[in-house]
Amino acid sequence: MTSVRWVPIVLGALLAGAALFVPAGPAAAQDNETCLACHTAPGMVLTLPSTEVVSVTIDPKRFTASAHGQALTCATCHPRNVEVPHPAVTAKTLKDYQRVAAGVCATCHNGAASAFGASVHGRARQMGFAEAPTCVTCHNPHDASRVRTAAFRNNLPQLCGTCHADEALMRKYGLRPVYQTYVSEFHGVTTTLYKLTKPQDPTPAAICTDCHGGHEIRAADDPGSRVHPSRVLATCTTCHAGAGRFFATAWTEHKAPGPDAAPLVWYVQLFYGVLIPATIAFVGLLTVLDLGRWATDQIRRGGRQ
Amino acid sequence: MSAAETAARPRPVMVRRFTLMQRVEHFVLIVTFNVLAFTGLPQKYFQAGWAERVIQLLGGIERVRFLHRTFAVLLIIEAVWHIGAVIAARRAGREHGDMAVNFGDVRGVIQDVAYLLGLRREKPAFARYDYRQKLEYWAVVWGTAVMATSGLVMWFPETVTRYVPGVIVPASRVAHGGEALLAVLSVIIWHFYNAHFRPDVFPMDRAMWSGEIPLDRLRHDHRAEYERVVGAEEPPAS
Repeated sequence: MTSVRWVPIVLGALLAGAALFVPAGPAAAQDNETCLACHTAPGMVLTLPSTEVVSVTIDPKRFTASAHGQALTCATCHPRNVEVPHPAVTAKTLKDYQRVAAGVCATCHNGAASAFGASVHGRARQMGFAEAPTCVTCHNPHDASRVRTAAFRNNLPQLCGTCHADEALMRKYGLRPVYQTYVSEFHGVTTTLYKLTKPQDPTPAAICTDCHGGHEIRAADDPGSRVHPSRVLATCTTCHAGAGRFFATAWTEHKAPGPDAAPLVWYVQLFYGVLIPATIAFVGLLTVLDLGRWATDQIRRGGRQ
Repeated sequence: MSAAETAARPRPVMVRRFTLMQRVEHFVLIVTFNVLAFTGLPQKYFQAGWAERVIQLLGGIERVRFLHRTFAVLLIIEAVWHIGAVIAARRAGREHGDMAVNFGDVRGVIQDVAYLLGLRREKPAFARYDYRQKLEYWAVVWGTAVMATSGLVMWFPETVTRYVPGVIVPASRVAHGGEALLAVLSVIIWHFYNAHFRPDVFPMDRAMWSGEIPLDRLRHDHRAEYERVVGAEEPPAS
């Protein structure tokens, strides 16, 4: 009798427990497919209190093909989100959000993370400049763009150019846009041509990181920089074996030639800027005169005969 | 001396104008110039769609550069050969400085412009080579010198910068591109007009092919030379 009265209580308690347990159950044993059931919907965003938005849509094909997609599950990097509904994001702004994300990267990529922390980008980040890059600015952890591929190498200047081609942004930091001069310079021509005509082959010409370094990049006037005047020739000889002592001055330092920067180049430009139109005008005029005389003679002769 | 009269003549009297070797040299120049222009301009205008297609067609930038440098070496050999040939011709007394630029050429330009404008009845009495041909010849000499020098600087920047300040390298690149554009435009306008499209030589001046020029044309285009060859004063045409 007594035991019978306990039945609904036990049953109720079990049901209640099951009800609590059911949503947590599959989530705890969550695999990527569970996440992707929702996160493939296009246009999914996380809105931060600052009204900034973070896209949370994942392209499963690109993720699977990525280095992470082959080794990790979603929960490796997003352990808190195994709970559904996901716990509230603590970051108030995009900057906060990226700082937390960078911490996640550092869990495995600690070498790169510490090199980056000491770099000009990392230090600017620590000083609180929101525009300074962080891991995910250049690397999309959910994308197939692997750093050791030809595509990543050939596109790297453009990636750096996202910021370093922006004159207004660069001026804020006392810098010049350098992407444009890179592209018009010898290395940049080769890289651009590889990107356009041989995307499967990595460019043999120097790209940004070959001279400046990647994660560890320093400001060019930092004595630790590989392009600091005291070290730049050594950096050139990485590729240009046997480069002469004046070799580094062949590089116009991302400056467009002018009376102050590489004046010889500027004078040669001026010379041809005058010589070409002058020559063409001279020979063009003589050609027109020659044809004119011929036409006049024809008309005169035609009248006579 | 009308055109009808000239055409009616069955077999015009020909005067030798170029040696076989000169014509061979010219042919080498045609081939190298065209290959160099075809493989060089896409490198200058690499961001243009047509340049991309040409480079793709030739199998990538490395192969384009290989072709460009191969034909550049050919052109340099030809240039050195030419200098040797001129020196040899001088020593043998076959060459009398016909290409030398002098005040007569300035007078030639002024008189020719006057003639073309109808201010002068007769075409000036040009020597063996008129100012147009001298301009072209010396443009090729100057152009080849600039292109060879600047090209070699870009090809061997590591060695060059052992002796010369590095700024010579980007300056060479600008000079190479500028001179290339000048050369191609000049050939298209000046050479193609004078040797191909000029109404009295159209479709081409055969002198550089056959090595001979009709005596009649020599009298009209190079009267001073004609008089020297014939050795007699011609009555002025009217």
